[in-house]
Amino acid sequence: MKESKINRRAALRTMLYIAGGTLVLPACFRESGSKTIGLKNLTISEQQELILGEIVETLIPVSDTPGAKDLLLHLFVLNMVDDCHGPEDQKVFTDGLKAFSVMLDKPSGKTFMELSTERRLLFLINLQDQNVEEVKTFYSITRNRCIQGYMNSKTVMTDMKKYELIPGRYNAYYKVG
Amino acid sequence: MANINLDTIKDRTFDAIVIGSGASGGWAAKEFAEKGLKTLVLERGRNVEHVKDYPTTNMYPYEFDHRLETTYADKQANPIANRCYAYKEDSQHFFVKDNEHPYIQEKDFDWIRGYQVGGKSLLWARQTQRWSEYDFQGPQRDGFAVDWPIRYGDISPWYSYVERFVGISGNKDGIDTLPDGEFLPAFPLNAVEDHFKKSVQSKFKDRYIISARCAHLSKPEPIHIEQGRVKCQNRILCQRGCPFGGYFSSNASTIPWALKTGNLTLRPHSVVHSVIYDDKLNKAVGVKVVDTESLEELEFYAKVIFVNAATLNTNLILLNSKSARFPNGLGNDNGLLGKYVAFHNYTARISAEYDGLLEYRTDGRNPAGGGYIPNFRNVHKQETAFLRGWAAAFGASRTNVQDRSGAGIDLKNSLLDNSKWGNWNVHSHMMAETIPKENNSVWLDSEKIDKWGVPLLHISIDYAPDDWQRRADYYDQMTAMYEEAGFTNIKTSDDPRRPGNDIHEMGGVRMGHDSKTSLLNKWNQLHLCQNVYVTDGACMTSTGTQNPTLTYMALTARAVDHAVRSLAKGEI
Repeated sequence: MKESKINRRAALRTMLYIAGGTLVLPACFRESGSKTIGLKNLTISEQQELILGEIVETLIPVSDTPGAKDLLLHLFVLNMVDDCHGPEDQKVFTDGLKAFSVMLDKPSGKTFMELSTERRLLFLINLQDQNVEEVKTFYSITRNRCIQGYMNSKTVMTDMKKYELIPGRYNAYYKVG
Repeated sequence: MANINLDTIKDRTFDAIVIGSGASGGWAAKEFAEKGLKTLVLERGRNVEHVKDYPTTNMYPYEFDHRLETTYADKQANPIANRCYAYKEDSQHFFVKDNEHPYIQEKDFDWIRGYQVGGKSLLWARQTQRWSEYDFQGPQRDGFAVDWPIRYGDISPWYSYVERFVGISGNKDGIDTLPDGEFLPAFPLNAVEDHFKKSVQSKFKDRYIISARCAHLSKPEPIHIEQGRVKCQNRILCQRGCPFGGYFSSNASTIPWALKTGNLTLRPHSVVHSVIYDDKLNKAVGVKVVDTESLEELEFYAKVIFVNAATLNTNLILLNSKSARFPNGLGNDNGLLGKYVAFHNYTARISAEYDGLLEYRTDGRNPAGGGYIPNFRNVHKQETAFLRGWAAAFGASRTNVQDRSGAGIDLKNSLLDNSKWGNWNVHSHMMAETIPKENNSVWLDSEKIDKWGVPLLHISIDYAPDDWQRRADYYDQMTAMYEEAGFTNIKTSDDPRRPGNDIHEMGGVRMGHDSKTSLLNKWNQLHLCQNVYVTDGACMTSTGTQNPTLTYMALTARAVDHAVRSLAKGEI
């Protein structure tokens, strides 16, 4: 009994390392409809968390390698905004997320969540032409933190970029190519 | 009962007491213990045992909750510590938090501290250069501070002695402004650093770019293996503590070495309140300590006392060591204790790009950090409107470039693309000498005390107009050298760092020829209380441009040798 508990805990911890936050629990772990747990400063609804998940997945989609949602980067974004940004950033972030949720796609009149994968991508790319400041700031924070979380994820650092903890060498004249 | 009392006094009596366990205190401990003296090292912070107490040392970036960033709450609570380049999620447990140890800033001053066994030797930048004869002659020739009571020849053999044990990587460059030492193989310059070196050395007289000399074991000798240290593995995660002992710290080197002799007692959690002076014996007899866990006051006794608490805390302890004979602090008849504190001016950077030598990049990591430009200003004669000069760090690097614009699969593919390399980025920062000034000083508050009953320290230290002249010269000369090397997009940028953030504060208990104008003699003894020695940064008469730790270590080994000989002769 004891052993399996430890294993389960170890598995959970591994998963949270992937998420980049031991403080945030993924949505699927909680009672449906409850507020996001584990955040100290931000108030984020379950629906907003789902939207954030779709935004990061649109930024870095699954292909033959894991995408942003697989890597729980939306939770990484929330964890970083919750812990490493000040109250002003946090307010703009939550205001921007709210405004983003109800923004309508120009031609179709649909919200981001109602769009197809391809239209979602266009929706994000066109965001930079928007003049709603809090949406732009929200998107910029989300985007930067998502890329940071991706580049510093175990998956990328182990399988793709091969971060070396112990290089054991310095080659000062390394031939390129 | 009386017997028990006597016994505890005996238990608290040693041959030598060393206050502080950082780079210089660790050396004092090693030297005394090796020479057979029963030695007590007092450290105000907790114990940090090599490897065992390096909790983050083997962590991958993704194992840190905030990917090495410190949190907003931490930045709000500890703005001073957060301004230190080395203070990150992986190293913050080795830094003093702002509120735990307050001080009074008369002027903005970042006092960066590491209160634990090993002190800041765990965290230092590990750059190690010898002073030259020109540096020791500086104050006398240029008429500032006071004349150093020693010259290069006095310290040269002790540099060698320390370097062999520490392990310094470097080349024998044959430059008189930066004497060669006992070196392990240097970490090489890369293609563009070499290009800059050749360009500068062919166009400018007496200017050199060398491989930075650093306290890393590029190729350990038997003496390093005997310490339990092995080859540097190029991790560059030094501020976490190194499980290989690849760089020098007290924790990896001098402290365990001293412990092995059986002569060292290491007492963490021991804040030194003051040195006890005996008015009848006319010498120091021990130190008064507050145990930070029990808050109990204790006294320890010894024949000789080394104060190595780090520059400003050494000043503080001596200022607080008041007696009928020395009402203004130990050895302070002339009122100069705490004055003429100086530092290094690190407020300038210059970056550029280079689009040549694109067939090369680097692979692995260079613990030396790249190149070093020894000072070439005002060396043989005064040639500028300002006194003295500056040294500089220089490095070139290339990184993978990714197009981070856009979104979707294009962004993902671009982020994962390892094939595109940008131009070389070159960068430098200035390390300028500052002139010790009487009003750059520290003193004790007359009322406010910390939770151990020690007065709070006032710090009043600032830049002066001549510091900006040196900076302007750095920008001018570096720009000319960059242009000559064909670098483009040259950008100078003022670094708004406060004094103290260079972590090279020096002086306040300066060395000199006599007790009228200085506190310490040529052996680092207080002129007026000769069984007390100061061999950390507080002893510095002037600052030079070199990273100072190597000099503190050499002065310490030399001073212990003197102390042991003086004890044998009954002179102290």
